[in-house]
Amino acid sequence: MADAAIHGHDEHHRPGFFTRWFMSTNHKDIGILYLFVGGLVGLISVIFTLYMRMELMHPGVQYMCQEGARFVASADVCTPNGHLWNVMITYHGVLMMFFVVIPALFGGFGNYFMPLQIGAPDMAFPRMNNLSFWLYVAGTSLGVASMLAPGGGGDLGPGAGVGWVLYPPLTTTAEGGYAMDLAIFAVHLSGASSILGAINMITTFLNMRAPGMTLHKVPLFGWSIFVTAWLILLALPVLAGAITMLLTDRNFGTTFFTPSGGGDPVLYQHILWFFGHPEVYIIIIPAFGIISQVIATFARKPIFGYLPMVYAMVAIGVLGFVVWAHHMYTAGMSLTQQSYFMLATMVIAVPTGVKIFSWIATIWGGSVEFKTPMLWAFGFLFLFTVGGVTGIVLSQAPVDRAYHDTYYVVAHFHYVMSLGAVFGIFAGVYFWIGKMSGRQYPEWAGKLHFWMMFIGSNLTFFPQHFLGRQGMPRRYIDYPEAFAYWNWWSSIGAFLAFSSFVFFIGIVFYTLMWGRRVTENNYWNEYADTLEWTLPSPPPEHTFEQLPKREDWDRSHAH
Amino acid sequence: MPYEWLPPEGGEDRLQLWPHRSLSQRGFVWFIGATATLIALPLIGLLGNPILWALLPFLLGAIWAIWFALRKNGRDRDILEVLHLGPDRLQLVRLGPKGLRQEWEANPYWVEATLHETGGPVPNYLTLKGDGRAVELGAFLSEEERVALADDLRSRLGRPR
Repeated sequence: MADAAIHGHDEHHRPGFFTRWFMSTNHKDIGILYLFVGGLVGLISVIFTLYMRMELMHPGVQYMCQEGARFVASADVCTPNGHLWNVMITYHGVLMMFFVVIPALFGGFGNYFMPLQIGAPDMAFPRMNNLSFWLYVAGTSLGVASMLAPGGGGDLGPGAGVGWVLYPPLTTTAEGGYAMDLAIFAVHLSGASSILGAINMITTFLNMRAPGMTLHKVPLFGWSIFVTAWLILLALPVLAGAITMLLTDRNFGTTFFTPSGGGDPVLYQHILWFFGHPEVYIIIIPAFGIISQVIATFARKPIFGYLPMVYAMVAIGVLGFVVWAHHMYTAGMSLTQQSYFMLATMVIAVPTGVKIFSWIATIWGGSVEFKTPMLWAFGFLFLFTVGGVTGIVLSQAPVDRAYHDTYYVVAHFHYVMSLGAVFGIFAGVYFWIGKMSGRQYPEWAGKLHFWMMFIGSNLTFFPQHFLGRQGMPRRYIDYPEAFAYWNWWSSIGAFLAFSSFVFFIGIVFYTLMWGRRVTENNYWNEYADTLEWTLPSPPPEHTFEQLPKREDWDRSHAH
Repeated sequence: MPYEWLPPEGGEDRLQLWPHRSLSQRGFVWFIGATATLIALPLIGLLGNPILWALLPFLLGAIWAIWFALRKNGRDRDILEVLHLGPDRLQLVRLGPKGLRQEWEANPYWVEATLHETGGPVPNYLTLKGDGRAVELGAFLSEEERVALADDLRSRLGRPR
């Protein structure tokens, strides 16, 4: 029999620095680690874009030269180094897709807040959680190593310049050197990390909710993490299979995607996009969850249409699996197939519309407080809607003939991902930084950061719609004079957005070191009514070892 | 309520307690079914193609992994405490994960049910003391449930006195 343990229960032993951060099994610490590493990789990845926008600021090649990469303009001869350009776009894509946004939103906020919101003491498998994080770090390291390893560029420099989609035959036969293999391994590790993380999240969410918290009562952020985890579980194994085949095609003489041996490179595109389209939702759905919490808090109203909001996320997730070939209208498909993918894609606008209108309805008639997180949420709503509308334009197979692989597409997906998901991340950081650190950011700085980023990113990407309509193709180092005007503005926007990011790094460090101490559990208002707001800021190392009381989370006005 | 008084048997009151678990068996089946259906979608287009065989192990691996994780987490919380309370015998059996079985017996006349507001691993920690030993009961319940159970137990223990 379990003997009683009265008076034998001392305070938990506090781990030292190394044990706490390097051997952590605590979901809150692992969440913070994810956020910091994601932020660091994000900085690297954003620096690449800065370099690319420098190059595109004026027609002609000024910086990425075969004579050596330059960072200041010079009158010396410059022979364009297309490989360097290709490497930049490849690693910007790979790092952002696999190593920045998913780790920050899903790994970071998901790890920290999902267990708190459902009243679970930790993740279902804390040691596996640690493994997921370190696999992610190892994957990132391999990705960076790949960038520095000899690749297909030969004398032009290291790295693989194949684009983040890793299409064969470029990746199987054309790209020599082991940079490509390392990149494939990096994506493998990131995939393994995400799948393990997803299994952990799903088990936690399904099995460890507080008594009484049925699926229809879970806060929307918790739901968003669950839907994301499910999408990861369904989509990432497909990617893992596809890139494993790339690896064997490259190294072991198989011909899965090599026509000379009976393989089919277009089939790779199908498999890649079967993963790739859900990936878009994997990136954006956690941001939906954060925005829902933020809007309800600062409109001082419970979220409008809780259940439709939940089922819209599920519907977006499920529909995301049956629309993949809208990325491939120009790759050769029958009219019937194109018609199906076109219609299925447009159907996604319905649940997405449900979400957008429910957010607006929540704000409608609310007592709106323009605190920094709410500004980011407003920014998200506007930008995500713009990206969504251009998405409907691109979903039209006939129209896509003209827009495919132009800057219109670049503008579209940066509006939904770079602006949508990233605004979601910033909304989350400002909303929860006081909870996580026990210190609050200076409000003016958060607002300045928002306006710099909002103006900067719109200035970067809105003109790219015009460039796309003018016919400027994506993925090129140079362009004719005719595209110069909007490219110049786009680069100015990118510099502004980048300086806002540097400013943000400053805000974070200022807040962590010298920010005003937070003394209340709930420093916003009573509409921040999820369980994390019943805990001190920062929460103690161990939380909800005792099941939470129902009245702590089940408010009469909620849901 | 993760505890329940069963109908008395052979003149003994019977109480069962178990930790709260939010996923039902039906929910498990639904989740695995939906996951397997959706993950099989890309295979339709690959029928008759060798790529199907290369992809299949990854997809089956994913299904196995989530199945195993949900079951393992379920097994780890597979705890049942059974209390038999008769006029001259109080028996508590705790069935834990991996077939672990612990037992304790005492004469209910002398058994003391104590609610420790503080000092235990959880607030309002409920213990039973008798036959020279103190054992815990329902440490996995919620606080309110333990308070309610303590009252209930005390009144039932008071009956033979």
